[in-house]
Amino acid sequence: MTATTTEVIIRPLDELDISAIVRIDEQIGGSYRPDVWERRIGYYLRRDPETSVVAELDGRVVGFMLGEVRSGEFGLEEPTGWVEVLGVDPDCRGRAVGRRMGEAILQHFKERGARSVRTLVDEEQTELSGFFSSLGFEPSSVRAFVRPV
Amino acid sequence: MSVRSTTLPKPFHQAVVRWQETFLPDYDLLQENWEKFFPTERKFELCAYRQTGMCTEIECGEMKGKPKFNRASDMQPEQAHHLFGAIRAQASTEFGSIQQHRLTLARAQEEEEQFWILRMMAEELRHGYQMLHLLVEDDWSSVSKESSADLVEGILSMNTGSHLLGAFNVDFDSFIDNVVFCGLIDRVGKYQLAMQKVSAYQPMAESMPEMLREEAFHLAAGVVPMRRWVTAAAKGGTFVTMVDLQKAINKWIPRALEMFGDERGGGTNVRYGLKPMKNAEAQKQYYEEVAKLVRDLNLRYLRARAEKLSHGESEAALDRILQGEVVEGVRREDLLHMPHPEFFRRRGVPAFRMVGAEGEVFTDLAAFRQHLVRSLPDSYRASRDFREYQEALTQVVEGTLQAEEAAGKMPSLRRVGGACPCSKSVRWVVDEPAVSAA
Ligand SMILES: CC(C)(COP(=O)(O)OP(=O)(O)OC[C@H]1O[C@@H](n2cnc3c(N)ncnc32)[C@H](O)[C@@H]1OP(=O)(O)O)[C@@H](O)C(=O)NCCC(=O)NCCS
Ligand SMILES: [Fe+2]
Ligand SMILES: [Fe+2]
Repeated sequence: MTATTTEVIIRPLDELDISAIVRIDEQIGGSYRPDVWERRIGYYLRRDPETSVVAELDGRVVGFMLGEVRSGEFGLEEPTGWVEVLGVDPDCRGRAVGRRMGEAILQHFKERGARSVRTLVDEEQTELSGFFSSLGFEPSSVRAFVRPV
Repeated sequence: MSVRSTTLPKPFHQAVVRWQETFLPDYDLLQENWEKFFPTERKFELCAYRQTGMCTEIECGEMKGKPKFNRASDMQPEQAHHLFGAIRAQASTEFGSIQQHRLTLARAQEEEEQFWILRMMAEELRHGYQMLHLLVEDDWSSVSKESSADLVEGILSMNTGSHLLGAFNVDFDSFIDNVVFCGLIDRVGKYQLAMQKVSAYQPMAESMPEMLREEAFHLAAGVVPMRRWVTAAAKGGTFVTMVDLQKAINKWIPRALEMFGDERGGGTNVRYGLKPMKNAEAQKQYYEEVAKLVRDLNLRYLRARAEKLSHGESEAALDRILQGEVVEGVRREDLLHMPHPEFFRRRGVPAFRMVGAEGEVFTDLAAFRQHLVRSLPDSYRASRDFREYQEALTQVVEGTLQAEEAAGKMPSLRRVGGACPCSKSVRWVVDEPAVSAA
């Protein structure tokens, strides 16, 4: 790892990260959605504020990874950590920001009794599947089904 | 990581339940609507939580590296005395805030935000309960001659006006106070809890993690509605204006800063390993954190006013506006500002100095009064608290009272007919558990 990676600080999410997450989401997806993130971050802060993390580089939030431990869903009885949403500032990619957040959230899941960690990735999103593969994730036998209504 | 839960011995548990029935009558409403507002989230329970597996060595101060204390009687008398005061003060704030929130809870315009506040109030009840747990589970006879029952009684008998810290003796005037209080005063709570997480007294340290988890949501319950309000204000909504919010911030920031204690103090807590930071240091970090919140709110406002601005452009525009330029029709005075740390203070180093919200120094009492009138919420100015401040300030300016003495006089007991701990009929803690009315 290069010197730049040592500056990355991983810490738990808090309510003052809303603005930064809105910014990163806008950089990634192109739309400004503060109301969506206000609600969503409120949810994670109620559920388990220590598990979801943000990454800071030189005092600026440049990444976020939100998730929680759940059980009893999709026939998965054992406690399972779910990585539900993440993003890294496009200007700060490739500097292990994502990896460091992934390692931190996996550690929290483990401490909360999770035996495995899951996520859902669209096959077309190669960067996300590449990212999760590099963190040791493998395709699972639990398949996603969908139909329009 | 694991968390253990316990309940207080029955008479004390029942005392808290009775207190809840009086000061948090909407508790049942919260429980009935839990699924609607907090689906799949762990249900609220009135109990004490202790985290296990925490650091067992004292983390700061003169005894750093020695084992933490599990019993107050093993501590140095002075150290135990400080700790005891902190537990009582913490308990007082937890119960006190519920008494404040209940006044204006029903006035919320949005049901969702109302239930957020209601949940937060229930969690404050649990925090108070947690502090009673610390008082009841240990033997405090080395620092207090009072029995456990009298200690609990003393705390449950406090009311707005007789609490130990100023912020909890100020009445709420509208739902703006419920929200701004969460965003600003609970934030002080977060600092205190985070500092006490290292406490040399292990039961205190173990009490903090779960309280901190709950506190993270309390801050969101303040910040998210504030963000929504500034957006609505930017779009021409007139329910909560930027001026209303600014005045509420001016009302609460001075009290928040005073909750850290005198700017010259805090060394004893650090020496005894009870907290890792002195008062001034923690207060400064807090002030900077709130300044960040205020900047976020301004950015949210600005982007709602000028939707075509990108994030980067709005950051730059905000800086120009704060320098005095008018950008996209937004002026400096349309935005929110941090009141100066010496503004409207009654305790600590700047107590009773005539410093305005922007840091301007007044020499004329009448002019300063007019400034306060313009800077604070209308309804607050009609309060007893404000009158007492004015009276004390006048005496300080006229030289008939020293600022230090005046500081010591506030807050003063001002409620009549509150629960009197010596009258059996109004005791919260009763020997026989009361028969529930089912
Ligand atoms: C995927 C993402 C999180 C990676 O963040 P990052 O900080 O750049 O990743 P890291 O530097 O920590 O890389 C870790 C590993 O991921 C893999 N990876 C990262 N970017 C990749 C890409 N574009 N393609 C394939 N693999 C990639 C690499 O194998 C890398 O391993 P290496 O260090 O051995 O090279 C980031 O690109 C991102 O935020 N993408 C958009 C996410 C998104 O769409 N979110 C919204 C929907 S949830
Ligand atoms: Fe609390
Ligand atoms: Fe709180």
